[in-house]
Amino acid sequence: MINKILIVDDSPVARRMLKTCIPKDKGYEIFEASNGQDGIEKYKELNPDIVFMDLTMPVMDGYKATAKIKEIDKNAVIIVTTADIQPKSIASVMELGAFTLLKKPAKASSIQEAIAKVELKINTLQEK
Amino acid sequence: MSQEANADFSEEEKDILQEIMNIAFGNATADLAEVIDIYVMLSVPNIKAIAIGALPEYLRKTINEDVESSIVEQKFWGNFKGSGLLVFPSGSGKDILAFLDNKEVKDYNGDASATLEKSGLLEIGNILIGACVGKVSELLNTFVTYSPPQVIQNEKNEFNHLIEHFDPQQSAIVMKTIFTFKEKNINGFLLILTNHESIGWLRKALNDFMDSYE
Repeated sequence: MINKILIVDDSPVARRMLKTCIPKDKGYEIFEASNGQDGIEKYKELNPDIVFMDLTMPVMDGYKATAKIKEIDKNAVIIVTTADIQPKSIASVMELGAFTLLKKPAKASSIQEAIAKVELKINTLQEK
Repeated sequence: MSQEANADFSEEEKDILQEIMNIAFGNATADLAEVIDIYVMLSVPNIKAIAIGALPEYLRKTINEDVESSIVEQKFWGNFKGSGLLVFPSGSGKDILAFLDNKEVKDYNGDASATLEKSGLLEIGNILIGACVGKVSELLNTFVTYSPPQVIQNEKNEFNHLIEHFDPQQSAIVMKTIFTFKEKNINGFLLILTNHESIGWLRKALNDFMDSYE
């Protein structure tokens, strides 16, 4: 079951856009971080079920933050949301262990579909 | 004169524009990667409102006044109106041509390559500026038409020609990102300048864009 969602993005507008795409009737607790470093700290503190991670950020980018979070918790579910959709960027984040990559701007259908996939994965793991 | 003229845009409007430019620059690099095998790293876009009269000085400082530059300029027209500028250090033309042709820089010699270098710069400029401005237009529900891109060999880094048709008392919105062609160690700037006439439309379009997420 998904309880906590962490959104890591330097843009307050991007965070707001993403929040509007997350279903409101599921009771998710949504938390925000404004760069990769902040995201790592919030991850340690909150242990969220899903992290939505931007790539191009000041202080620490999403590549480094994804790698670091996966070091802390190899089962972390990180959904990269980015405007950088170059094939090499996509390959890099998937190699780092991202769950999936979604193209910006956020769309409710793709965000909800990704959350449903995570929910399915969690349920399958719990059944085992 | 102060370079900042932020009164025209609220912080939230600047944030919306920054995110739209982030998406647009990302879209532009993905389009480029479809044409050539290159990985482009981007900085977080920077948005500034600048008085037109202060724009040449801003560009001189941004582009490093000590280094000659090659600039591809492409104008665009519509509700969203202005110029896209792709700025490379002078001498990058051969490197760009080499990776467009998948050859070595040493394969190009003499004056004959100057025309090829120019065409390489134009090609890259056309792709990056067109994809970037096109994505902004798409996201803001409008369309633009483009002038053909042109290469400006800017030996003195003078930018007064960019503002000769503008009222120096007006302001422009400057959107800048720094990019690096990673494997080639080439850095440059992509700047989108939009003039005063577009600001009213742009403000409304930004708010409409955000309203679609409420």
